[in-house]
Amino acid sequence: MNSSQIDQLIQERRIIVTCGTGGVGKTTLSASLAIRAAVLGKRAVVITIDPAKRLATSLGFDKRVGDAPADITPHLQEALKNHSEAAPGSLGKLHAIMPDTQGSFEKLVAQLAPNSALAQSLMQNPIFEIFAREFSGANEYMALERLISLHNTGEYDTIILDTPPSRNTLAFLDAPQLLARLFEEKLIQWLVVPTNQLFSIGIKKALGILEKLTGSGFMTHLFAFGQALFDVRIKFLARLKDVTTLLQSQDVGFILVTASVPEAIPELQHFVDSVKDHGFHFDGLLINRTLGGLADDQSEWRSAGKSSEQAKQLGRARQLLQALVEREKVSYDAFKPLLEGSRRLGGGSILYEKLPELARDIHSLEDLLYVAFALGRSSGESGP
Amino acid sequence: MSFQSVFEKNLIFINGKGGVGKTLLARAVSHHLASQGFKTLNAVFEDPLREPGELIQPDPSLPKLWSFNCEAHSAFEEYIQQKIPLPHVSRLFLKNKLIRYLSKAAPGIHELVLLGKIWFERTHYDRIVVDMPSTGYGLTMFQSVVNFGKLFQSGPIHKDAELMLETLRDPKQTGHLLVTLPEEMPIREAIDLQGYLQKLFPENHSQFVVNKKFPHLETLTRQEDSLWKNPVPKSLLDYALKKSHTEAEHLQLLRERGKNFQEIPYIPPTLHNAPENLVRDLASYLKEGTS
Repeated sequence: MNSSQIDQLIQERRIIVTCGTGGVGKTTLSASLAIRAAVLGKRAVVITIDPAKRLATSLGFDKRVGDAPADITPHLQEALKNHSEAAPGSLGKLHAIMPDTQGSFEKLVAQLAPNSALAQSLMQNPIFEIFAREFSGANEYMALERLISLHNTGEYDTIILDTPPSRNTLAFLDAPQLLARLFEEKLIQWLVVPTNQLFSIGIKKALGILEKLTGSGFMTHLFAFGQALFDVRIKFLARLKDVTTLLQSQDVGFILVTASVPEAIPELQHFVDSVKDHGFHFDGLLINRTLGGLADDQSEWRSAGKSSEQAKQLGRARQLLQALVEREKVSYDAFKPLLEGSRRLGGGSILYEKLPELARDIHSLEDLLYVAFALGRSSGESGP
Repeated sequence: MSFQSVFEKNLIFINGKGGVGKTLLARAVSHHLASQGFKTLNAVFEDPLREPGELIQPDPSLPKLWSFNCEAHSAFEEYIQQKIPLPHVSRLFLKNKLIRYLSKAAPGIHELVLLGKIWFERTHYDRIVVDMPSTGYGLTMFQSVVNFGKLFQSGPIHKDAELMLETLRDPKQTGHLLVTLPEEMPIREAIDLQGYLQKLFPENHSQFVVNKKFPHLETLTRQEDSLWKNPVPKSLLDYALKKSHTEAEHLQLLRERGKNFQEIPYIPPTLHNAPENLVRDLASYLKEGTS
């Protein structure tokens, strides 16, 4: 039996990073990919940032956040018993993690700082406080931190990283560079000793103007923050290098989740180019929330309308759905050029899968299992 | 509360989760207001597919409509030039490597500068319709104003941050729309977001808009459990019936909390030029609804 493209991908990559804009069903899909891997016998874990409460519950989290991996294998075993289809092999493991980005950033600082006094003073710095909470890029970077530490344990065959919601799909890729910019050595050192004799007149003047603009209290905090950055930079830059090396390795594949609308194409193209520019491996597209694969039988619609009012309502709904299906077809053709020139690791064709829109929200692990089985079945058409 | 009351404000923020249709709704609102004769700016933040700082008139039939891709780097330079009126001093300041580094790398500056630019433009237009980034990052932008008001205890930036906050909090000048879909996750996120905005702007209530409301169908009940077991739909009809049914349940989440909301129907997309056509259709829907 031919295995689906998604099953092949799970065999090829140890780490699958799912990217995409909001509302495309990325988080549900990431959880389902991890379940699919577990059903195929893998020791799988999904890292997901801030999922909807119900999804969190269906993954077995009672609290909002779980920084340690939660073992959901027993729940999955139970759900499989009640499911109509059997797993193709023996069940692997299923874990899930929802990192607390606030807490983990502080943990990271504690690890990087040469001594605890410095870590303490950094955490009390009001600039750092804002930084840890709101620096765009901090959440993204912390997800990568969690990824690398899980990878290093060697306890997992498959790690699915659901990228956090960002300004746009690219923000995630750019997060490490954004942070690296903060540590540009030549520049931080100017902040380290405000009375530094080596200060040029230009810098003194600039800092004088800055002080006028911001008031004096701020400058004290800024110098303290600069000093702390200076002290943690060596370890941090080494970590950053590890993250980049891992992401560029053959172990990691990036997939892009999208809705089936042709307007998405410029952004998708931008993303594909950017993944390649970073030296990462682009593994293909998952077109989610599609309606085109569903049967549309005239007589079924007709018999559903019991009164003329009902028939009218149904007519309106059908017209809308048919318009959506027609537009999906336009986008399928338009999506294909995005994949040109990309090959998968095993030499197989690039992932290009359509997945159905769900009729209702996900409430339980059983629901996710349905999606996971759909992932194993999908694959009729191959990419270009 | 209706759309009309929000459309009377000078600054209109379109907030919500990713994928709920903020961008097209912001364009439609701008289109509508410009067609009513208001000089209108439709502002987006750092759209990577457009030129940074690009200011265009997107529709030749609407001479009062402007579209702006707000970008932090040029906004920062502009701000400094205002605060340091001596050109040679501000030029040296901006050219200084350390300042350039700080303006790029310091957390929150980016967000403050972007929002500050919109705030500054408010006197140049009758209406500014802002397509906000999705929930988390959008909140960060508003929060940056509060943070910098606190972080800088004196000086002109402190003062400007205070003034900005005053504008954002003033229900006479600023309106906040919360866009959601009639789906569970976006509704819950919108309710949470309203709570956060309420804390930031206690006197200025944001208003819910439910976008893409599916046609109402009255033919299915929850009674037949077996029909609901599999979340993957069996047919287009099965999907339609369940969609209509679950939407009604989800809107109950708003109703039972006493949240009023405006509905926008799901407008069927056209095969080609769907965004442009949708903006036009939405704008005429808004016009009918408010006339």
